[in-house]
Amino acid sequence: MEKPSQILGVFNDPDDMTHAVESLIKNNVKVKDVYSPFPIEEVWELLKMKTRIPYLTFIYGAIGTISVFAFLYWTSVINYPLTFGGKPHNSLSFIVIMFVLTILFGVVFTLLTLQFRENLWPGVKSKMPDTRATDDKFIIVIDRKDMGNISESELEKLLKDNGADEVNEY
Amino acid sequence: MYNAKIRGVLIEGDKTYADISSDVTRPMLIDKTPVWWWVASFVASAMLVWGVWGFYNTIVNGIGTWGNNNSVSWGWAIINFVWWIGIGHAGTAFSIFLLVLHQKWRTSINRAAEAMTIFAVAAAGMFPLIHMGRIWDGFFIFPYPNTRGPLWDNFNSPLFWDVMAISTYLTASFVFWYIGMIPDFATIRERTVSKIKKKVYGILSFGWVGSARGWLRFESAALLMGGLAAPLVVSVHSIVATDFAAGVLPGWHSTIFPPFFVVGAIFSGFAMVMTLMIIVRKVFHYEQYVTKGHLDAIARVLTFVSLIMGVAYIIEIFVAWYSDNPYEMYIFFHNRATGPYAFEYWAMVAFNAIVPQLFWFKKIRSNITVVFIISILINIGMWYERYVIVVTSLSKTFLPATWHSYSPSVTEIAVFVGTIGFFILGILMFMKFLPMMAISELKGILKETGAHDKPDFRDVLKAKKKNKK
Repeated sequence: MEKPSQILGVFNDPDDMTHAVESLIKNNVKVKDVYSPFPIEEVWELLKMKTRIPYLTFIYGAIGTISVFAFLYWTSVINYPLTFGGKPHNSLSFIVIMFVLTILFGVVFTLLTLQFRENLWPGVKSKMPDTRATDDKFIIVIDRKDMGNISESELEKLLKDNGADEVNEY
Repeated sequence: MYNAKIRGVLIEGDKTYADISSDVTRPMLIDKTPVWWWVASFVASAMLVWGVWGFYNTIVNGIGTWGNNNSVSWGWAIINFVWWIGIGHAGTAFSIFLLVLHQKWRTSINRAAEAMTIFAVAAAGMFPLIHMGRIWDGFFIFPYPNTRGPLWDNFNSPLFWDVMAISTYLTASFVFWYIGMIPDFATIRERTVSKIKKKVYGILSFGWVGSARGWLRFESAALLMGGLAAPLVVSVHSIVATDFAAGVLPGWHSTIFPPFFVVGAIFSGFAMVMTLMIIVRKVFHYEQYVTKGHLDAIARVLTFVSLIMGVAYIIEIFVAWYSDNPYEMYIFFHNRATGPYAFEYWAMVAFNAIVPQLFWFKKIRSNITVVFIISILINIGMWYERYVIVVTSLSKTFLPATWHSYSPSVTEIAVFVGTIGFFILGILMFMKFLPMMAISELKGILKETGAHDKPDFRDVLKAKKKNKK
């Protein structure tokens, strides 16, 4: 049988795990992924992860504002202008609906973006290297191909020295 | 990593990460459904059934089955609508304001508060629906291309803003609530041994894995949604207030209304969160997560908001006098403070502005029974506030010939009781089937705020491991 392609370092403590990630990076080992039961900001910084979702949310909101205003303008000024109380057709109070629906656009499309990027849909089978990462384990995943120039036993020692509870294969 | 003790201990009892998972999932996965749950569900269902009768009677026979009349055209339906919306404000106010302000003590409470929001707003939404009289024409409120012109909605009407604001609020709150539960569903999915539960929670968890990139996107999206929904908390109730303030009736036509309503909504919502959390921590033994410190913090917020309420009541009276408008003065001095609605008015003032001031005393704040009673009194007081606003202003307007009193009919009472049953049933379902506290967020604050600083956390873990061996 072929050897499993990934090595897992299983940690009990998030701080030990982040230190391990730090020393792995120092040793030119590529950390493929980290699984944890809660978000750990240090890991994002160490792995230089960034997300562009905020820019997209801004665009969604802007589209919301503009399209809602276009709709209100078209209905109230062009399509069926109704004059009441001598007020202008293009009313300042449109701002209320524009404001509310901008938020709706932002929330709904941000949700959809997250779902598309992370493939979060009902019925998707989860593929986790170690399901204990949803409970109390912090798991570093390393690809065998990306171990830099250290050997497997050295890698295992490195993980153990940093407080890894187990070193498994997957 | 973190050693700063900003707010002291938020999770008591030397918990580990595994303890949190098992404590929160215990009622769903291990414990037998307790007897009180069935009893409460039965009572709530009975209330709901009576409410369904009220709905049926209203829809089949029309609004004539209510106690409304030509003068008091808005009765219990609007009072209850505003009351529920107010309660529905706390969840999001609580969870999002405190999220944006990085207040860690929200962590064990926000999930329940958001659940409360969803059910309260859903209960509120039923009232405008049946208040239309012809519910089968309900789609008229949406701007859709029609054969009447096409005639569009009046986009300058607060009533239309209300439709938009509340449906947006419900959507955004639901999304925020659900997104927060996805990692917890994954935890449950991996913990349960039952095949059906594994399947159901597996579907609900959307295949969440908890990778670093996933968490980054998740956190970013959740914070953005929170930031977007935060202004909604203010706008929804401001818009509800403009329903009143845009009317020219004395007692309604006032610029104080939007802020006054928003503060009132946060007030009643926080009181309901308090009521709910006291019950939850007691019956599910979550005293170590929802500590006395948490309840103390909510009580302090309530004290402050109660002061704002008191000031608002004084300002209303002052402005009525200062305006020198005889109608305004009549409403405040002869139809509210004295006259047939004096009981409701003074109950409102006492429950909202005076009784919560007892929270200044530490002895009262730390006595859970008293806190529980006060939190319920606040919600009764807030109901009276809406009653006072709606009924006193409508019953005696400019022409004495149109004066009319108001009392609710059995159908109206049935509808209100039905929505309470719906709300309680929703909360009971939430307690039984969903994680009551945000498991992943609790784990996230455990290191900073857990009660394990005396012996070092790592030493405790190592000791536990040794014991196992």
